[in-house]
Amino acid sequence: MRPALSLFLIFLVLLASCTQPRKQLTLAVVAGVEGEALKQAAADYEAQTGVHIEIAQFPYSNLFEKELIDLKARSRAYDLIMLDDPWFQRFAHEKVLTDLTPLLQRLGQSGPDPDFVATSIALCRDPYQTGSLYALPYVGNSQLFFYRKDLFEKYELKPPATWDDVLTAAKTIHEKENTGAGGEKMYGYVMRAAQGNAAVADFMPIFWAFGGEMFDASGKPTVNSPEGIAALQFMIDLGKLSPPGYASFNADDVGAHLLQGTAAMSINWPAWISSFSDQSKSKVIGKMEFTTLPGAQKSGQAEIGNWLIAIPRDSTNAQAAAEFLVWATSAAQMKRSAQRGNPPTRKSLFQDAELVAKNPAYPAQLRSLESSRPRPRTPYWNEIENAFGIFLSKANSGELTPADAMNQANAEIEKILQRAQ
Amino acid sequence: MPKSRRFFNARNKRELLLPALFLAPAMAVLLALSIYPLIYSITISLQQQTAADVSWGLGNFTRLLSDNFFLTALVHTFVYAVVALTCEFLLGLGLALLLNEQIRGRGIFRASLLIPMMLPTVVVGVVWRLMLNSNFGAINGTLKEFGLNTESLTWTASPKLAMLSVIAVDVWQWTPFVFLVLLAGLQAIPQEPYEAALIDGSSRWQTFRHVTLPLLKPSILIVLLLRTMDLLRVFDQIFILTEGGPGFATETISLYIYRTAFRFFDFGYAAAMSFVLLALTNVISAVYIRLIQSEPN
Repeated sequence: MRPALSLFLIFLVLLASCTQPRKQLTLAVVAGVEGEALKQAAADYEAQTGVHIEIAQFPYSNLFEKELIDLKARSRAYDLIMLDDPWFQRFAHEKVLTDLTPLLQRLGQSGPDPDFVATSIALCRDPYQTGSLYALPYVGNSQLFFYRKDLFEKYELKPPATWDDVLTAAKTIHEKENTGAGGEKMYGYVMRAAQGNAAVADFMPIFWAFGGEMFDASGKPTVNSPEGIAALQFMIDLGKLSPPGYASFNADDVGAHLLQGTAAMSINWPAWISSFSDQSKSKVIGKMEFTTLPGAQKSGQAEIGNWLIAIPRDSTNAQAAAEFLVWATSAAQMKRSAQRGNPPTRKSLFQDAELVAKNPAYPAQLRSLESSRPRPRTPYWNEIENAFGIFLSKANSGELTPADAMNQANAEIEKILQRAQ
Repeated sequence: MPKSRRFFNARNKRELLLPALFLAPAMAVLLALSIYPLIYSITISLQQQTAADVSWGLGNFTRLLSDNFFLTALVHTFVYAVVALTCEFLLGLGLALLLNEQIRGRGIFRASLLIPMMLPTVVVGVVWRLMLNSNFGAINGTLKEFGLNTESLTWTASPKLAMLSVIAVDVWQWTPFVFLVLLAGLQAIPQEPYEAALIDGSSRWQTFRHVTLPLLKPSILIVLLLRTMDLLRVFDQIFILTEGGPGFATETISLYIYRTAFRFFDFGYAAAMSFVLLALTNVISAVYIRLIQSEPN
């Protein structure tokens, strides 16, 4: 019996190794529309080429830790990973990604396709913009300014070009428009100031427009500059025209207020655009306009938030992974991703007639993306964003004055950087 | 004296073999899943990651003392634990005494009281998050119906009310547990002492103070011990309700440990904080256990 059993096992092992396809790739993707598009692309690729692609899908909140733990432990679990761009610097700093240039050269390309938007491809290089290429951009998000076109026309307000215009318009709407679409109170503006990512994302465009910089040329934190404090004071002034409790708002709260027609303006991401024309969700169909971010002392700049795809340094199938990566980010494939709702990272697709007809905000999105700024490129961004967000949220909930909040934030950021040295 | 030597003689060896064989899988699992991770976490808590390399020492522990976030989170954890424990205990005891009496519909009350405890904490968190939403939530909606101005009642978004809100949710969910344990304790008390007290003509308060309370003490201590340990490591409902905010108003140690480990990727510092939390929990639990053991039984 025993020899028979072991023979059977050996046979099974042999069978398994024979039936396994020649090439196999494992892909870590985020749950949600961005990852879904890449999953679909992987299925198409498998059908076309026979390369089997295994998918590991994680919710956004777990993806970073899963990927970094696996890559640092060199477990070779993934051949391709999706990265949110603020994480990129950490991965590059840990030296766990593959330099793509030699792989692209072997595929007959001298570098990334010039059709990629410059600000998107700059995110994929370490150091930023100038260094080696470690990823390719897949989803081209950048912030947009959302406002109620109908109300702006009703009160003869000019489209918001500066933050002062925004404040004036918000005050006018706040005073004159007492009730929202559903009979609830109408607010002039809605922002999110929950600690962490939310508060920082809504603050950075104001901070930059007011002339604030997170670091000076030598890398020392300077958030408590007069410009930074003025920007935070402005955010709080604008917050007074925002629904109460905004100091704990996240993207879904902001979305709900805009969809319910109870707030007139906000900074938001392109992913929300399609929901405004969805009859089952929206009370403001046809009333929303999307434009680039307002300016102040400086011209307005959006925060960029792209999804990138990279190849771990320890991938055993780097060349096969690169072939898939180039295929998935090609114009033809990215167009399919765009049709599924993801903003592209290629200029030609933002200008594609078919896509523009379905996505009227594409011209504004391209302008916003091309003029966008990345979050400061540091491997300690998660920690810095957390600390900065806590103090922004505290200032917005009235716990701290803008100056105190910025001074304390500056001290915490300095501590984080010192520890890293 | 040669007891130990006899222990290892040939016959005993054979006799020991079998139990050792049976114990081996359990020991292996224990080693792999408890002992090894414990030793590993001790080693990483003594390591500090710098830009260039790793340095050894107590740096993570000394850093705790100058970390305002950690110290504030520690205070929040204790405020949360003390207030929630007091409310849960008083309410649970009251309910247990009430439902220990012969009142109509006792079964229905007892059963319905247990519902919050049976719900997963994450579900409780999401439900309360929606109910406490200041603009669309059920609580402010109801208050508005009564004509109250809810403009300033932003619950989880207000630095003043956020801590109270998360504590209230914990009290709502875990009072039933305290109630259940104390009710079981009350039902285990024999009738005789009560009859004796009745004969001696003691008042209701005297009976409660001198008969019920002393006999209920073991149950009280056990439920307080279990709740204290749970409250000190609270994570899920706060994570769902406020994620520690607004600002830092409801950040507890567990949340901060989680953030440090999985967001900032500083496992050494997170391990150091976990050991401090473990030590504090152990000290407090030891006090309870000493009290339980000192019970003359």
